[in-house]
Amino acid sequence: MNRFKRTLVLTVFLTFGFLSAACAVQSYDLKEMTPAVQQALENRKARFAELEHLKREGLIGEADTGFVEVRGDSAEAVSVTAAENQDRKIIYEAIVEQNALGPAGYAEVQKVFAEVQRGKALPGESIQLPSGEWVKK
Amino acid sequence: MRKLLFVYLAFFAAGCTVKAVGDPNRPITINANIVVDVRGLKKTAVGIEDMVSQGAR
Repeated sequence: MNRFKRTLVLTVFLTFGFLSAACAVQSYDLKEMTPAVQQALENRKARFAELEHLKREGLIGEADTGFVEVRGDSAEAVSVTAAENQDRKIIYEAIVEQNALGPAGYAEVQKVFAEVQRGKALPGESIQLPSGEWVKK
Repeated sequence: MRKLLFVYLAFFAAGCTVKAVGDPNRPITINANIVVDVRGLKKTAVGIEDMVSQGAR
C-alpha cells in the first residue's frame, strides 16, 4: 500500500511537471542589452513626444508591419518615420537574433509589435488593420 | 516503480530524439520549424513599448 501511494504521488508529480513545462509561456527577452539596442531605445524615448504629436496630426500612422508610415505631406514626418523605423528594426532584429527565431520569427515579431502598437494607439490616430485597410482608431 | 520511471524517461527521450534512417553516406537535410509562442512575444513587445512611452515622460 505504501509503495502504491509512493508510485501514485510520483506519477502525479511527474505528469504535472511535464504538463506545466509544456504549457509554460515562452519568453523572448532582450537577453543582452547591446550598445546598439540601448541606443535605439534611448532614441525612441527621446523621439516619443514628437512621434505622438505627428500621429495626432494624422501625418504618421502605425502600419501592420510593426513600423510607422508617413500618412501626410510633411518633411518632419518623413524624417521622424525613417529614424523611428531604423531604431525599431534594430530592436526587432535583436529579439530575433538573441532568441534564435529565424526569418519566420522576424515576421512574427513584426506582427506582434504591430498588434501592440494598434492597441496602444490613441483615438483618432491612423492604424493599419491586418487586412491592409487604414482606419482612424 | 523502476518500470514507471523507465516509461517516463523513454517518453521524454523520444520527444527529444531525431532518428534518421537511410543511407549514411547521403546527407539528410532537416528543416527545423521554430514555433514562436505569440503570448511570450506579446509580453515582450508590451514591456518594450511601455518602457519607451514611460521613459519619455
